[in-house]
Amino acid sequence: NEELWVQSVLEMPKRRDILAIVLIVLPWTLLITVWHQSTIAPLLAVHKDDGGDSQRDLAAGLDSKEYCLSDRDIVEVVRTEYVYTRPPPWSDTLPTIHVVTPTYSRPVQKAELTRLANTLLHVPNLHWILVEDSQRRTPLITRLLRDTGLNYTHLNVETPRNYKLRGDMRDPRIPRGTMQRNLALRWLRETFNKNNSQPGIVYFADDDNTYSLELFEEMRSTRKVSVWPVAFVGGLRYEAPKVNAAGKVYGWKTVFDPHRPFAIDMAGFAVNLRLILQRSQAYFKLRGVKGGYQESSLLRELVTLSDLEPKAANCTKILVWHTRTEKPVLVNEGKKGFTDPNVEI
Amino acid sequence: YVYSRPPPWSDTLPTIFVITPTYTRPVQKAELTRLANTFLHVQNLHWVVVEDSPRRTNLVSNLLEKAGLNFTHLNVETPKSLKLGVTWIPSHTPRGTLQRNLGLHWLRDSFSNTAPPEGVVYFADDDNTYSLELFEEMRYTRRVSVWPVAFVGGLRYESPKVSPAGKVVGWKTVFDPNRPFAIDMAGFAISIKLILEKPHASFKLEGVKGGYQETSLLKDLVTMDGLEPKAANCTKVLVWHTRTERPTLVNEGKRGFTDPRVEV
Repeated sequence: NEELWVQSVLEMPKRRDILAIVLIVLPWTLLITVWHQSTIAPLLAVHKDDGGDSQRDLAAGLDSKEYCLSDRDIVEVVRTEYVYTRPPPWSDTLPTIHVVTPTYSRPVQKAELTRLANTLLHVPNLHWILVEDSQRRTPLITRLLRDTGLNYTHLNVETPRNYKLRGDMRDPRIPRGTMQRNLALRWLRETFNKNNSQPGIVYFADDDNTYSLELFEEMRSTRKVSVWPVAFVGGLRYEAPKVNAAGKVYGWKTVFDPHRPFAIDMAGFAVNLRLILQRSQAYFKLRGVKGGYQESSLLRELVTLSDLEPKAANCTKILVWHTRTEKPVLVNEGKKGFTDPNVEI
Repeated sequence: YVYSRPPPWSDTLPTIFVITPTYTRPVQKAELTRLANTFLHVQNLHWVVVEDSPRRTNLVSNLLEKAGLNFTHLNVETPKSLKLGVTWIPSHTPRGTLQRNLGLHWLRDSFSNTAPPEGVVYFADDDNTYSLELFEEMRYTRRVSVWPVAFVGGLRYESPKVSPAGKVVGWKTVFDPNRPFAIDMAGFAISIKLILEKPHASFKLEGVKGGYQETSLLKDLVTMDGLEPKAANCTKVLVWHTRTERPTLVNEGKRGFTDPRVEV
């Protein structure tokens, strides 16, 4: 009987004990949760950066809560907040990529710049230098640049009419875009002091090419001049630098004139801003440049073959395509024009 | 702060289902790349990519996985007979039709008519150019919304004619303005609800005259006076029917110069 009594005494308290444990533990867990949150939230509120007016703040991945600053000890917390803004927030640590784009008026211009801007809007610390081939900066470009929200500089210089390339004629005079790219180089040299310049990379991006987002991260680490393959140039699927086992460029995988000093397309290299500022006389040659030698005319004044830094997995990946856009057929506009010329395309 | 793309999904914003037919050719990856770069800015976008191929290719699969977009990857091959078929004038080849219809079929399979999601369907070819503003214009479509498109019909742009009362009353085109819907594929969007309500509305595959493909679908969905004009009563151009040149690959020669394992 004693055993029975002992057994029942042991069994009964089970439910009571559980209840007791719950009633004791629960308030403590609640207390700890609240205490934890109230120490963390003020830290986040204090660190939240607005990122400037020029950004479109569509949505933050975090609910904003109001908390009073507690006078407890501050706990070091690193919390990743996923934020979409257009463009991304400026960073103090990333080198700036200065993208130089020459452009000229023609029906597809706005379309080209729109889709290029849509790509550039994903790249942090990007500065777009758009140089119009025109007598004056046009309202179309002025409005477009302002509406994108990008960090930009708007320049213009008109290529003298005798020298403009007409259509696809390979005229060995001033290739298209040269004066505009040179103006951008001059602007960079006038704007940035070579002694206390912020780190930067210069990239020449024509307005009809196609750029992957990965490309911009590849070029960001350029020390002098970096290079990579380009699709749809030289009559090939792609042209690429030849890279040896030691990771050094020693030649060019091209069919067209592989013995050029730099058998590479404009879209296939980037230059460290410091180098641009140091070699302040290095420009693209204006006249007397053979077809395909424009890039060499600049690069030979900046770097030697062995100094080149291969990117894109030692030049085995395609991250940029030299696409070209067809000229639209406007035959139904007729002589006097059918559509409203005030409607901008 | 880590930059996230696309923007976080919202429970309250209507979804934009973008149906893009695509096919293998040298510039395909470039086209899809820059298209993805545009879509990555648009909130609540679901990309339905439909390959014209017997199997889903690695190129497109990998691209979609890497991009980070919300997507569905489909494929259906256009039979060779259709490609050359009834009208063998290249401009009348019904390219993309089977693929767009498959996209519609997937939507009807995935969503029920009794509880339709808030959203629109938009047919976006992979070589056109889209402004970000366009997607916000189409997002709140009740039945079918329309707007101008650049570089179609041999004009700077084609556009619906909108009356002062804000109703579509005709089409500002030179080519066959009397078509029931003289509008390009890129010039309209349809609410999901309507697609689900009319499960038999599809693009007609055969016997479609040049320029009538859009009509073959829209006539079963809406009448002209039911159209909703967007883009400031159809006075702004927010989409361009750009076309990409075929690249010259003459230096590849007979046996190929570049490494075929390097994806372009």
